[in-house]
Amino acid sequence: MLKVDHQRCTECRMCYIVCRELDINAVYVAHEPLHRIEIDPVACTYPGCTACLMYCPAAGSIVEVETGRSVVPPPLEAWQA
Amino acid sequence: MRDLPGKALAQELAAASQAEARATPMEDVIAKAANDGLDTTATHRLVGRLWALERMFYYIYGGWGQGLEMNDFPPSVKYLFSKQIVDESTHEMLYMDLLLKKGFIANQKAAFADPACGFRVNSSLAYYIFSLRNLATYPHTIRIAALNLGPKILELAWTEALAAATDDPELKGAFESQIVENRSHVNMGRRIVEEFISKPVDAELAHWAVGIAKRDYCRYLQEVADIVLDRPLTAPTPPRVRVLD
Repeated sequence: MLKVDHQRCTECRMCYIVCRELDINAVYVAHEPLHRIEIDPVACTYPGCTACLMYCPAAGSIVEVETGRSVVPPPLEAWQA
Repeated sequence: MRDLPGKALAQELAAASQAEARATPMEDVIAKAANDGLDTTATHRLVGRLWALERMFYYIYGGWGQGLEMNDFPPSVKYLFSKQIVDESTHEMLYMDLLLKKGFIANQKAAFADPACGFRVNSSLAYYIFSLRNLATYPHTIRIAALNLGPKILELAWTEALAAATDDPELKGAFESQIVENRSHVNMGRRIVEEFISKPVDAELAHWAVGIAKRDYCRYLQEVADIVLDRPLTAPTPPRVRVLD
């Protein structure tokens, strides 16, 4: 399961774009005034898909919920998924 | 703080729009949402038509951006414009999220073929979009005045009212979360008019442009209300001048 670390995310929205293009639609815009990007854990298919990690430019901005490990830049196993 | 040349004009334009803000065709949709609630079909049509407009702002602002040159305005004007482009894009994403989450469309691509979301040239939506795009040939200050002190004020009012009226939490959340940004667009318009519209000819142009933008926006809202409430489409008011060639 993935989540966005808002301390590091620059809101460039590349993750949103690729997730839409792949028709997974797990990345969404939160209903709050800052409109931060969030990841829906139900729709997200990680580790089956790692596309958002591949396009994220901000180190540490997407983390694994279970381990707290940063997955940006993507670890080796992400490239093998 | 120094006197701003367009202060009185900005106040006048904003006050005129405020006075009309709760008399748009969206009032029927707000009443329906408050009294009976919007059913699935009505919600689908509402979000679809709003998404169809929001995505067209890429086209409108693309044209407006081409009309900007180096050093024609201070960086603050361009910053405010780029912030508005990002916000409009965010609103487009919010509506797309809603369409997907509620299962109205299977995926992003399907929206383009969906009757509620699709774009047709023979529509009031298209009329409004082309009307705004046409402002690309006018100074940036004029077109920002036209949009941000006209339709944006109307939009802010009906968005707030519809957010309060609906009991659909997702629809309410999507509208409520836009309010701060819409309010900031109105403030941007006020600031730009206050600071940069100083000549009588520009003030006259701003009056004209705000009037045109509001008229065409209300025509679009009429179409939205008719579609959402499943009424026959209201024929637009015929133009006063017949073009013969």
